[in-house]
Amino acid sequence: MNEVYLAGRGLASALGPDLACALVALGQGGVAPTRFEVAGGFAWPYYAMADEEADWMARACRIAQRVAAESGALAGPRTGPLFLCSSSLDMGALEDHSLFDGSDPNFPALVAGWLDWRGPVFAISTACTSGLNAVLSARSLIRNGHADHALVLGLELRNRVTVGGFGGMQLLSATRSLPFGEARSGLVLGEAVAALHLSSRPARWRVAGGANVVDGQDPAGPVPGAVTAMCRQALADSGVAASDIALIKPQAAGSPSGDAIEAQALREVFEPLPALVSLKAAIGHTLGASGAAELALLTACLESGVWPRVDYPLDAALNAPLAEQAPQRARHVMASILGFGGGHTAVVLEDCDA
Amino acid sequence: MSTSWHVSAHVVIDPLPAGWRDRLAERLGQRPRRIGPWAELALYGARCCLDAAEEAALPAGTTLRVGSRLAPMAAARAIAEQSRNGLPMPFAFMQSQPSQMLAALSQHLVWQGDARFALCQDAHAALQLAQQDADAPRGLLVGWIEEDRRTEWWRLRA
Repeated sequence: MNEVYLAGRGLASALGPDLACALVALGQGGVAPTRFEVAGGFAWPYYAMADEEADWMARACRIAQRVAAESGALAGPRTGPLFLCSSSLDMGALEDHSLFDGSDPNFPALVAGWLDWRGPVFAISTACTSGLNAVLSARSLIRNGHADHALVLGLELRNRVTVGGFGGMQLLSATRSLPFGEARSGLVLGEAVAALHLSSRPARWRVAGGANVVDGQDPAGPVPGAVTAMCRQALADSGVAASDIALIKPQAAGSPSGDAIEAQALREVFEPLPALVSLKAAIGHTLGASGAAELALLTACLESGVWPRVDYPLDAALNAPLAEQAPQRARHVMASILGFGGGHTAVVLEDCDA
Repeated sequence: MSTSWHVSAHVVIDPLPAGWRDRLAERLGQRPRRIGPWAELALYGARCCLDAAEEAALPAGTTLRVGSRLAPMAAARAIAEQSRNGLPMPFAFMQSQPSQMLAALSQHLVWQGDARFALCQDAHAALQLAQQDADAPRGLLVGWIEEDRRTEWWRLRA
């Protein structure tokens, strides 16, 4: 079986149009969310990109091309599988212009065309866990020799339907994103486009393994037994013990109940807890793109030492403090996303330079 | 490494029989809640396939994969229209999310495990991806949905 490595990455987010800008912004304390207006006078905090182009499709095309290029994936053969990860696909265009009548709205193929991508195209749609599930599917194909490279492209761009939908379910915070915070009051959504270029060629970060556990008991939040099962299966798949994990990037979306369930489940598996880091107060919850976006930003943070500030009181009752600086050495890192639809997904990365 | 699979059940439901949603509710003993016809179609196909395989529930550890050329378009149309008309909170938002179909399958097949949905224009490619993803010793349930038209499911074992 082939090993699978992160050959390159790219990210456009509220922190900036690329990873270099994101690290600068993060080092300066991050950015504040803006307000996103849905309709009827409703508005929610939202981590928007500083890009005001009104044409949704033209904006998506330009950003996707730039981020994919940043990952290095466009410099190669472009014949491996392309995994698009998104919760809302092109809803931002559809809600502005009715494109349904008489057409086949095949957005994934359109994105492949933007990138002149010639390999098979899949759009993984498992809500928030889409990005990490795409990484696991890409890993399967590369490990089994069916591809030697793949591009995972997370794409979640502004649209009123998604913000309104989450708002309607009373899942959003009216103030700010406070992962594991004492005053956390819900999610703050954001937009991002992220690219992970995976390859069989050795690189610094190896995708050691992972796991995906769906449990429909709660279609809108985490299930404790599924979180522990996800962690244990991801460790087993990666061939490491809980004590080998030096850093966890949990979901930590700022949900009052979700964060509590997640923290308790992590403590059941990891005792003592390793260092924890959350990136959602930096870029928001970017839904279908979040797995790819947070992996791109996390690995960049670990390489650079730039670390997200925690400028709010953490919830002592969770007993899950967020690290204030990057760990000195983190050979194995677990990143997880818990999602809408009962999804619980984790990926373990190995830093081959650590 | 390629796994050799054998088909323990294969169902093709094309065209959809009249009253299929009522039949599903009768088979489940309840009408599914909070999901739309797209997800109900997946549930109907999966349930028929498991019945053909003589399995009351999906065994623990089985991998579940579902594919389609399109997302739930009726719900997507509805929420896009609601948004264009200035409705701040779209009523069919949950039904527009394919992940809710996976949650419903988990719930009604009495199963927790690895489930994934992929949009793909090529059903054969989706099936191949599903087989590569599956944990071979534990088998695979894989389905294909075409909203309002047909559904096809396979129960595969190594």
